[in-house]
Amino acid sequence: MKTYILRRVAQSALTLLGVSVLVFVILRVLPGDPARMLLPDGAPESAVIELNRQLGLREPLFVQYGLFLRSVAHGDFGQSFQYRAPALRVVLERLPATIQLTVAAMLVTIAAGVTLGIGTAVRRGTRYDLAGTILAVLGQSLPNFWLGIMLILLFGVALRWLPTSGFAGWTSLVLPAITLAAFPTALVARLTRSSMLEILNRDYIRTGRAKGLAERSVVLRHALRNAAIPVLTVIGLQIGALLGGAVITESVFAWPGMGKLIVDAIFFRDFPVVQTVLILSATVFVGINLLVDLLYTIIDPRIRYS
Amino acid sequence: MLGMLPPSAGKNEEAFFQKPVGTGPFRFASWTHGDQIAMTANPTYWKPGIPKVEKVTFRFIPELSTRTAALRSGELQVIDRVTPDLVETLKGTRGVKVLDVPAIEAQRWIFQLGKEPVKDQRLRQAISLAIDRGVIIKELLKGYGRPVDSPVPPGLIGHMSLPPKVYDPEKARQILKQAGYSNVSVDIVLMKDFYPKQLEITQAVAAMLGDVGIKLNIKNLEIASAREQRTAGTYDLFFSGWAHMPHDPDWYFGQWFTKAGSEKLTRYSNPKVEQLITEGRVPDAKVRQAKYEELERIVWDEDAEIWLYYTVAIYGVSDRLRNFEARRDYYVLLSDVSIA
Repeated sequence: MKTYILRRVAQSALTLLGVSVLVFVILRVLPGDPARMLLPDGAPESAVIELNRQLGLREPLFVQYGLFLRSVAHGDFGQSFQYRAPALRVVLERLPATIQLTVAAMLVTIAAGVTLGIGTAVRRGTRYDLAGTILAVLGQSLPNFWLGIMLILLFGVALRWLPTSGFAGWTSLVLPAITLAAFPTALVARLTRSSMLEILNRDYIRTGRAKGLAERSVVLRHALRNAAIPVLTVIGLQIGALLGGAVITESVFAWPGMGKLIVDAIFFRDFPVVQTVLILSATVFVGINLLVDLLYTIIDPRIRYS
Repeated sequence: MLGMLPPSAGKNEEAFFQKPVGTGPFRFASWTHGDQIAMTANPTYWKPGIPKVEKVTFRFIPELSTRTAALRSGELQVIDRVTPDLVETLKGTRGVKVLDVPAIEAQRWIFQLGKEPVKDQRLRQAISLAIDRGVIIKELLKGYGRPVDSPVPPGLIGHMSLPPKVYDPEKARQILKQAGYSNVSVDIVLMKDFYPKQLEITQAVAAMLGDVGIKLNIKNLEIASAREQRTAGTYDLFFSGWAHMPHDPDWYFGQWFTKAGSEKLTRYSNPKVEQLITEGRVPDAKVRQAKYEELERIVWDEDAEIWLYYTVAIYGVSDRLRNFEARRDYYVLLSDVSIA
């Protein structure tokens, strides 16, 4: 187990190195010049060249990359071109908002998605199942921005129960969390349903019922635990995806997270900020994947890594 | 603009601008990056009774429909840069009113004057004649735009009333025929999502130009790529608004109509115009007006740019707000404002 973890960590490091090379190169081959985006319209060529030199962008690509790796190893992700502040600080400032939103959306996803999945599976073929399936299809097909604006108009403007936007207390978290959770909830619900249906037909479930176990215990303890592996995998992947920044949801709700930050950073060719966000979210993504793989062994003790 | 700063500010500029200190009616309270800036009334402000509210919060809401919703729900008292298509929604909401005022802002398209085919004045004239500006203002801007009569909008020194840019497709066709243009094709570059309604307006103009036999290719590019093309000069037309800030036309003329200023932009070059710009750099307002009128006549007749319309500034305001002034320069000044 220990060797397995060590091997996985080493692999992760390699993955991250690959990510950093990709991000680094892609940003620099894109058309668009950071100095020109920072300087006012019509700035003379000499000023553009000088600013690019100051930003270190006139060195050969591999030299730039080498310098970048060396400073990242020291925990320095460079200075943001736009904000004139350390890129890491700019990104970390936005991290709490993103984490809050991700955690809230994931709680909604797990609570609603798993419940809906179990409910529709045990009542297969009933009207309840049909309603759940329709809900799941809607959740996966409604565009985020539309759902967000509709929720704002209903709960913010018409009923005035919740704030329309912004980042002030838990009430302003409700609508963006629901909007963001719509897609993964539907995904988890459908996956839980199909996974549960498969398990509920197994012999050991029939055995459980035959020996007189309460239905609740059959479903939750015996079926759900066995159906959980694929669901867990998907949830893990979704957390990673959300942490990378829920761009559309964040801009609809004026949520000051990393999604908005990275879009602006790409617009303005703020390389250090883009690099920091991507490397950070890739790290979290890789970390969560590792965690999910390790959780498998707890849920299903038959799984062993050696 | 110059503000009064404490002596220590210069030594630690970065920290100072995170928590600025000034002499105005409000004091800086907090700044949540990407979300809001909060300010409180300055109790020692020199003018008694000012400001009239205790707290002001500036919120950043990038999505226009969300901004509108926040005003309609009563969370906000003022929103600016309302687009014409949202005016009806706001007018239909109880407790909300819409204020509008002609802005000091012109929407214009620049030509790449160093390059065929648009360096030919005849082609530029034909393009201008083929554009029905009235339709753009009436249909796409729902009346929230004004016809141009000068490169400089009203409200600034140098504004004058020049002959209107009329819509005359027949004359445009004639000019094209005489100049020997058939199947001429022109590229326009847009900075994606930069100006409201820009794509709809450009598509409408493409249809109008198509009518007289000019093919307009719309390149809707992400901002950095668009600006790269502008620098490289690989465009014929470029959608470029102008908010006329600072409020003096010298900046506009110096940027777009001098050889040095327009080097990486329009490549405009006319020694006479350059001389008039230099001669306009004097304190005497009368002299400046005269110089600007002379140079505006020249660039107007050259069709050096396509001036489309003057913007109208639209604000959505809570009707509990007293003394709010909808300003034509988009400044939001709140020292006299109070809430009923």
